[in-house]
Amino acid sequence: MRPTMDVSELLQAGASKQKSIQVEKEIPLDIDIGYLAATDPNPIDEEEYKNNREEYLQSVARDNAQLLINHLFSLPIESSQDGPLAKLPPPTTTLPRAKPLPKPKPPTKWEKFAAAKGIQKKRTEKKIWDEEKQEFRDRWGRGGKNKELEEQWLVEVPANAPADFDPVKEARDAKKKRVAKNAAQQTKNIQRAERSNASASLPQEREKRKTELERDLAQTRISTASMGKFDKKFQGEPKLRGVKRKFDPNEKSADSEKASALAILSKLDTSRPSKRARAEGGDDVLNVRKAIRHESRTGGLSGERTGGRPGKDGKGRGGKRK
Amino acid sequence: MRPLTEEETKAVFSKLANYVGKNLVHLIDRADAPHCFRLHRDRVFYVSESLMRLAVSVARPNLVSLGTCLGKFSKTGKFRLHITALDVLGQYAKHKVWIKPNGEMPFLYGNHVAKAHLGRITEDTPEHQGVVVYSMNDTALGFGVTARSTLDTRKLDPMAIVVFHQADVGEYLRDEDTLF
Repeated sequence: MRPTMDVSELLQAGASKQKSIQVEKEIPLDIDIGYLAATDPNPIDEEEYKNNREEYLQSVARDNAQLLINHLFSLPIESSQDGPLAKLPPPTTTLPRAKPLPKPKPPTKWEKFAAAKGIQKKRTEKKIWDEEKQEFRDRWGRGGKNKELEEQWLVEVPANAPADFDPVKEARDAKKKRVAKNAAQQTKNIQRAERSNASASLPQEREKRKTELERDLAQTRISTASMGKFDKKFQGEPKLRGVKRKFDPNEKSADSEKASALAILSKLDTSRPSKRARAEGGDDVLNVRKAIRHESRTGGLSGERTGGRPGKDGKGRGGKRK
Repeated sequence: MRPLTEEETKAVFSKLANYVGKNLVHLIDRADAPHCFRLHRDRVFYVSESLMRLAVSVARPNLVSLGTCLGKFSKTGKFRLHITALDVLGQYAKHKVWIKPNGEMPFLYGNHVAKAHLGRITEDTPEHQGVVVYSMNDTALGFGVTARSTLDTRKLDPMAIVVFHQADVGEYLRDEDTLF
């Protein structure tokens, strides 16, 4: 009989090799489990850091990772096909925005004037009270109050009006004029803003001119019979670079890809057969040739043909008959 | 691996439409799993979207093949169908040609189909139409282009070519080195 082995020592040795999953920290970590991020506010042990830097950093990293994973295991866990999944709460750390803040728009002429005079912006309500109808009506738009004069069935005509005075047309023209004036003012404001932008960024203008010049120069360099291959080169002349090809991203959504493929397919128009097939009457909806043959087999035309099999050149004659 | 550009898509679709016609829509708009066309080393692959997403993580030099290889773009930008596309074409082919057992071997060695070997042909196949070639027991052998329309073949002598050979399954052995 073999002596029984004492494995408790082996087990203990194994356990001492593996570190405990319980980690003690003087100051608890800031864990944002939503981002799977942990921040260690504990100061570095300077002595150990100097003596054995890599080992010390690794042990700290290991402890912190252990804490993070402990935290992860405390979350509610769902089982799935790929194994258990922990449900992460929404992250608490606020990240700075990726893009810079939008630049303020240049003020319009009215905004400048209002600022100089100290005029406050007043919000106009969209609805306006109609005394006659005793209800709120839209200020503009469909059935708006500004179209009131155009929609009256009876309008007072001024005493000095000409014979062909049309009050409705007059009112509508006046309104259109106001709209046109506003549009003109808008475009002027845009132009003014552009001009002020350009004056603020004169170097940009210079840069633009430079790129234009470079483009022209590049064009002249390849505008010889050999496309510039055998021309004399200057010292330090930059190499010509073409436009880089650009492709769609590999991982598009399947739907958008399908839509674009179908769009190309519809442009190709594969539903139409080749020219020759069309000439022969090979249409998908009605195959004329086949129809004629069928007709000649069963219908009145069959009298001409004694055999059940259609003639060799049945197609040609059938086509003419049609 | 990248999606096809518009010109490339046009080239591929017009080639495929030669064989499958309107059924091309079923290739793009599939009911089961979304499939897409991808270009890798000048070859066009027809691959399910999930597989494509997995293949993204394989480095370009290590990626040999994915999905079904439909064909390749030549250096001049023309698209050539490969025999590997036979599965796709055979499934949706509009016009088919069946060849007799004694004509199978000549076809599989890369010869054109003579009239004597022609078993059956889809009715009303026009001239120069892409067709899929089957053996008499409905095994897809390859594809080609008709030399004559169905009606014109009747007048031909037995040795005349009916279908021009384009690809056959024998290429799996003959072009083993260059096919993939």
